Amino acid sequence: MDIDDLLQELDDNQVPSGTRDIADLTQSWIAERSAPEILPFQTALLERLMERIRQQIELVETQTGNLDPKTNFCLILIQTELERVKFLVRSYLRARIHKIDKHSIYILTTPSIRGRLSPPELSYLKSHLGLLNSHFLASFLRGFPEHWGISMVEEPDLDGAVFCKVVKDIEDNIARIPGTDAEFKLTKGDVYVVRYSAVREFILRGEVELI
Amino acid sequence: MNNNNHSANGPLTPAEVAFLCEAQSITIIPRQRLDGLDLIGGYIPPFHPPQRTAIPLWLALLLKRQRRCNIVPPPWLSAPNIERILKIETENQNFFCPDLPYRWLETAELLLEACPDDLGGDDGELRVLLRGLREVRQGKVREGLGKLEATYLQMNNLGLLEITEVRGFAKGVVDGLRKIGASIEVELVLGWMMMMMIFR
Repeated sequence: MDIDDLLQELDDNQVPSGTRDIADLTQSWIAERSAPEILPFQTALLERLMERIRQQIELVETQTGNLDPKTNFCLILIQTELERVKFLVRSYLRARIHKIDKHSIYILTTPSIRGRLSPPELSYLKSHLGLLNSHFLASFLRGFPEHWGISMVEEPDLDGAVFCKVVKDIEDNIARIPGTDAEFKLTKGDVYVVRYSAVREFILRGEVELI
Repeated sequence: MNNNNHSANGPLTPAEVAFLCEAQSITIIPRQRLDGLDLIGGYIPPFHPPQRTAIPLWLALLLKRQRRCNIVPPPWLSAPNIERILKIETENQNFFCPDLPYRWLETAELLLEACPDDLGGDDGELRVLLRGLREVRQGKVREGLGKLEATYLQMNNLGLLEITEVRGFAKGVVDGLRKIGASIEVELVLGWMMMMMIFR
C-alpha cells in the first residue's frame, strides 16, 4: 500500500487520524517544495501534530529510566518515528521560510497571499524585512534617487513548470494555458508537466496535487 | 546534512523520495512478540509470530536489521512478474505499463539492499531484470522529452523516482522554451536538439 492509496481511502474514514495527518503533512510538504508561490499554512494540521510530538517526547522522557529491555526497545521505535515526523515538520517549515525570504515584499504587500502565513511566520517576515530595510537604507539605498522607475520586488514565477497529478474527478476539467490557445483535459490519475498558472486553481481546490 | 540530500527549496531530492518511500506499508513475518505500539502515524498492533502483519516500511527495515522479522516482498516484486512487465514495455514503445506501483523503483532498491534473503532464491536475476526494466523506461522518457512542447507534457504511469530523475531537465526545457517565447516549430526543433546534446 502506498501513501496515495492511503489518501484515497480517506473517504472511507477507516484510516486513523494520525495516519491521515502524516499523509496530509507529507503532501503539504511536497506541494510547498514544488509550487513557485507560498501555499496556505496548514494551521489545524500542524497544531494536532505538534501536540502529538509533545506527547511522544513526554512519554520518552518519563520512560527512559525504565530498565525493562522490552520497554526500552519500544522507546527506540517511538524515537525513530519521532525523528521522522520532526524531519517532515522541519522540512515543511524550512520550505516556507525559504519562500518568505525570497518574496518577502511581494507577500507583505499582497493581502490574499499574506493571509496564507501563520502568525509566527508573519512576525518573522516583518522583523526580518525591517532589519534588512534599515540595513540597506543605512548602507547604500540613501544614496539612490527616489524614483528609480524599476520594480525591485521579486515575485514568484507563477508560470514555472511543475509536475502534478490529477487526484479527483473534476467536473469542469479543461485546463487552459494562459497566454496561449492550448488546452488539455484533466482526467483522474493523469500526470502532467505544465505551467503552474495553468493548474493553480485546481491545486488550491485540492483536485490536482503537486508531486 | 549533505546539501545534495536535503534542501529547502526546489523539488524533492532522490534521498527525500526514498524517505517518502519508507512511509508505505509492507507485510512482515515477525520473529518475536511485540506489544502494541502507539505511534504518531497510527497504532501498530501486537506481533504474534508467525502471524503476518502490515507495518510501515521504515519500521520493517529497522526490525529486519535486528533480525526481528522477515519481510514479505510485495507480489509485483518477483522475477516472473518483472519479466512479464519488461516484455510488455519492450513491445509497446508508446506507453508505460500501469502494473507497477508509483514507488516501484525506490521500493525495489530499498528491499534488494535490506533483505535480499527474503526475495526468494536468486536475487541476482531480479536485479538484472529490474535494471533492464529501468533502462527501457528511461529510454521512453527521453523520447517523450524529445517531443516536448512548451505548453504541457503528459507522463502517466511513471514512478516518482523516475520523475525525480528527469524533473530538473524537463522543467528546464519547459521554462526555457516559454521564456524564449518561440513558435512551436522552433520549440520542437530546439527541444530535440537539446535532448540530442544531453543524452548523446
